[in-house]
Amino acid sequence: MPVIWLCVIVLAISIVGFIFGRQRALSSAGGDARNLHSLPNYYGWNVFMKVVAPAFGLMIVWLIAQPLVVQNSISGMIPETEIKEGSSIGLVMAEVRRTADGLNNAVAAGVISQDLSNDPGADVEALTASLKEAGQVVTSTITQPILLAAQAYRTMTNTGSLILAALVLLVSLGAAGFAVRQADKDYKARNVVEQGVLALLMAAASVAILTTIGIVLSLVFNTAEFFRLYPAADFFTLLEWAPSFSGRGGASKLGILPLLWGTIYISIIALLVAVPIGLFAAVYLSEYATPRVRGIAKPLLEILAGIPTIVYGLFALLTIGPLLVSVFGEDGAGWMSGGRAVMTAGIAMGIMLIPFVSSLSDDIINAVPQAMRDGSYGLGATQSETIKQVILPAALPGIVGAILLAASRAIGETMIVVMGAGAAARLSLNPFEAMTTVTAKIVSQLTGDSDFASPEALVAFALGISLFVLTLGLNVFALYIVRKYREQYE
Amino acid sequence: MTDASLPTGGAKPQSGSLTTVDARTKKRNAAEKRFRAYGVAAISTGILFLIVLLFSIVTSGIGAFQQTFITVPVYLDEAKLDKKGNRNIDDIKKVSTFGYNPLIQKAVLKSVQDAGIETPLTKSKQMKALISASAAGQVRAAVIDNPALIGQTVEFKFLASSRVDGYLKDRVKREHLARDKNIDAEHLDIVDGLQDAGVLAKTFNPAFIFGADASESRAEQAGIGVAMLGSLFMMFVVLFLALPLGVAASIYLEEFAPKNRLTDLIEVNISNLAAVPSIVFGILGLAVFIQFMHLPQSAPLVGGLVLTLMTLPTIIISTRASLKSVPPSIRDAALGVGASKMQSVFHHVLPLAAPGILTGTIIGLAQALGETAPLLLIGMVGYIASNAPDGIASGLLDPNSAMPAQIYEWAKRADPAYYERAWGGIIILLVFLISMNTLAVILRRRFERRW
Amino acid sequence: MYDQAELGAAVDQNSTKISARNVQVYYGDTHAIKDVNVDIDAKAVTAFIGPSGCGKSTFLRCINRMNDTIDVCRVKGDILIDGEDIYDKRVDPVQLRAKVGMVFQKPNPFPKSIYDNIAYGPRIHGLAKNKADLDDIVEKSLRRGAIWDEVKDRLHAPGTGLSGGQQQRLCIARAVATEPEVLLMDEPCSALDPIATAQVEELIDELRHQYSVVIVTHSMQQAARVSQKTAFFHLGNLVEFGETSQIFTNPKDERTESYITGRIG
Repeated sequence: MPVIWLCVIVLAISIVGFIFGRQRALSSAGGDARNLHSLPNYYGWNVFMKVVAPAFGLMIVWLIAQPLVVQNSISGMIPETEIKEGSSIGLVMAEVRRTADGLNNAVAAGVISQDLSNDPGADVEALTASLKEAGQVVTSTITQPILLAAQAYRTMTNTGSLILAALVLLVSLGAAGFAVRQADKDYKARNVVEQGVLALLMAAASVAILTTIGIVLSLVFNTAEFFRLYPAADFFTLLEWAPSFSGRGGASKLGILPLLWGTIYISIIALLVAVPIGLFAAVYLSEYATPRVRGIAKPLLEILAGIPTIVYGLFALLTIGPLLVSVFGEDGAGWMSGGRAVMTAGIAMGIMLIPFVSSLSDDIINAVPQAMRDGSYGLGATQSETIKQVILPAALPGIVGAILLAASRAIGETMIVVMGAGAAARLSLNPFEAMTTVTAKIVSQLTGDSDFASPEALVAFALGISLFVLTLGLNVFALYIVRKYREQYE
Repeated sequence: MTDASLPTGGAKPQSGSLTTVDARTKKRNAAEKRFRAYGVAAISTGILFLIVLLFSIVTSGIGAFQQTFITVPVYLDEAKLDKKGNRNIDDIKKVSTFGYNPLIQKAVLKSVQDAGIETPLTKSKQMKALISASAAGQVRAAVIDNPALIGQTVEFKFLASSRVDGYLKDRVKREHLARDKNIDAEHLDIVDGLQDAGVLAKTFNPAFIFGADASESRAEQAGIGVAMLGSLFMMFVVLFLALPLGVAASIYLEEFAPKNRLTDLIEVNISNLAAVPSIVFGILGLAVFIQFMHLPQSAPLVGGLVLTLMTLPTIIISTRASLKSVPPSIRDAALGVGASKMQSVFHHVLPLAAPGILTGTIIGLAQALGETAPLLLIGMVGYIASNAPDGIASGLLDPNSAMPAQIYEWAKRADPAYYERAWGGIIILLVFLISMNTLAVILRRRFERRW
Repeated sequence: MYDQAELGAAVDQNSTKISARNVQVYYGDTHAIKDVNVDIDAKAVTAFIGPSGCGKSTFLRCINRMNDTIDVCRVKGDILIDGEDIYDKRVDPVQLRAKVGMVFQKPNPFPKSIYDNIAYGPRIHGLAKNKADLDDIVEKSLRRGAIWDEVKDRLHAPGTGLSGGQQQRLCIARAVATEPEVLLMDEPCSALDPIATAQVEELIDELRHQYSVVIVTHSMQQAARVSQKTAFFHLGNLVEFGETSQIFTNPKDERTESYITGRIG
């Protein structure tokens, strides 16, 4: 039974339960709602909630657990010989699943009979042919063990679904009966329903924790897998990044250092653009500008922050790059060989970060108490002297925090470097050379053609975890500084 | 400024009259002016960058909305298209686009000759470079749609090839022709002639906005419409998941959460997730939704889920701010008449905070709409979005692209004709973003309540 | 209303340091100071008293043009220091403020070391020839601020780490470091405890030998303790100005009497 129908049935039961619960409560109060503890609808919701929660809870747990259980028992059925050189159990399992799906679809389409699909002795080659004919994606000829595994997979999945359907129906009917019987004029339905809603709210708030757990687990597991295939020491210390694609022979050299250097170099260029402009803009906006100028200039600058990064990427690739080449390229200074370079990406990223630096610094400068300014003006300091010698030193920790936040943005930025920085990993000091970054390589390793289980693809997760740790560390540190700074003036 | 050590020091400013400005003060005032000028320069530079950016987007992208079309009468030869002559639709369908090409090329050659253009190109095959490869499919579709056309001469409006289009848009220049295998100077002479004759013209091209992406060699045919639908479906997913989740989480944290470690943990998580690079969310989507849960790759549903997780912190932060701005007196008033805490929140606080929540949600959606990096990892790029989805389920589950991913895809392609389309795509994307942000600003202005 | 010109003449016994003529101050549309005429003596303490919002602080801030930093504030009339109009176009407020120092309601040491707090003014005005000279100025100022003994061993500790009373004396020391001739004090003790207040009041009495001190206070006892002359402001008007003893024992205007006896305020 498809899950969607199961959901519909559960919902139907709960709606009927709602009506009965409401009715029963009302009749227990002699038809007068004023005699009830709670409003009549709360009794209905009480039933609804008590049907839906266990039924869907069971469904979710089952649907997550079933594939794991099935997978586990099926993978035991596959003999070692089936796992070819360069392949893995995961790939074979994918083939099994594909075959099972193919059989299901072919039966549904009427190309093969149910009996044939379940026949363990069926001629594999004929079966493959008929599956292909039915338009099912089957990569190569199905082997006997895979067919057996696929058939077992089908049976187990089907039985599992049946049991699930039966259980869910049983649970929801039972719960409905139980909850309807609860409906009585003295029953505190509102409190119970509110408890339920509170639990729901709490669950929603916990999504943030789940997301973090999801990120950490997906990074950690795949990174562990990567380090099983590739030495961790090499990853962290090799000065070379040269992935070879499986099949071409030769071992890959996957050192993170050149990527990290590219990342940091581009971020530094970006900050060199963004920090002076952003900081001076913030100083001017908060100390000098009339409300009118501020009202125009600030939103204009903030438009820069609302522009998607893909736009900056394209701007780097098609505007900044050619512009730099015309000045520093072969016709000019001769330092630059192509449009994609550290400079190209760095400038684009710098422009993107200007409003980020300026609005953060603006907030921080405004948090410096007016008394500081008065004290300085009262001594006969000019405005710029006050800013340079009193306000900026007082705001320094906060501004450092803001710059660190901007740096963390720059390190995690992807589209600008994918489009503007180039693909070659190098350790070079020339800012007009193409380099690449951690984020750009995550994209290229995971969108390329390499097999998902190969070290060349898995390395992306190791890069991801490095990026995650780096940006998170910077952020936590920066937020800590900013918070300390704010506390100082509160 | 540690001027204490300067030899100019020692002059006490108060020794003179107030109405004469001493040298040191003059110097200081000059420094003041300079500093101010730096500030003005910084702001001007920032705004200049914005102007240059917008200027290059508009000037480079506006061309994508126009396309060169050639209008020619095509004789639909019965001998080629329906040899048996019985108008059997199945027989007609057997003629592939290759069967139509000669007819079209012949028609173009005829138009060239009719226009009286002198050219050494006299073979109909040589006209191939002028016409988009999509022309044959266009005629075939028209014939299959209405077999009665066979044997007649029908006027068609074909896309010109991207080189011809580029010539009209100044992208393809005569001095670069030596390096171009696809088109010759003679072709461009014909183009000039056809333009004078009014056969060939640049007009508004709605297919760019509403059409589907095309293969690498048919830049002239590519449109962003299908990717737009992909983005639309993703935004639906984000709206339907992130808004309720975000509001529920905010209500919990703002109104109900006890001060304990779990609450602290949630708070820390939310503020950190807001700063996690978007590409990491892509990794999460790839590992959890595709590898682990086996949801279909490249599907807007998965893209929407990833963007939901990414947008959630933004929505939670803005929702909490608007809940916070509802004064406690409202809550007290509700509690005072005997409402439960839950009732006071849902009946009074939430409706009052709704405009702020809506504004925050729209801004979060705008952010999600422009996001590209996570979509690359879940495969929403590299797929040629050639068919519009035909329903909600297909829209959510069938492979598709999204506007920013489509733009990225175009920017990667070798043919420079695609650059123009990438910029044009950005114009469309920015139009969406600007409208969303304007809506948010209007909502805020209209409903903002000062307590 | 009390005759302002006559009043000015009556108290003009010492040399006059500051004289205000027909001063009007507007905050946007609000008329905050109405036609104030006053002559302030050199080397004496003059107290401005009055209920809150009467304009006494606003008027004080006119004397070193601190009101310039507020956009909506406009000042009309003349304020002369040593016979020179400080609102003359040629006057640079920066130079003026070096001559007319100011101490604020809340102690506002910069988040720098004690030494740098004091050295800030001399540095920006270029008062010291060299490091030794600057050290001298710092020590002299801290002594004048009556705080030298408490901080001489920790000159490089942050000024914000001092107690409230110490901070305020530090701010006074900071103000005298630029060698001003006039010291304006805007309720300098309102944020301090009684002991610190007593110390600061003692200091103010000391300072009068070298500076013309103008102090705004909401405490009549304080005005009586530290000042020689007192001006009573009410609703933007200067109601009465005279010897402190006369104002407190024998006020001529009934509004002054009402305020002193606690009926308005």
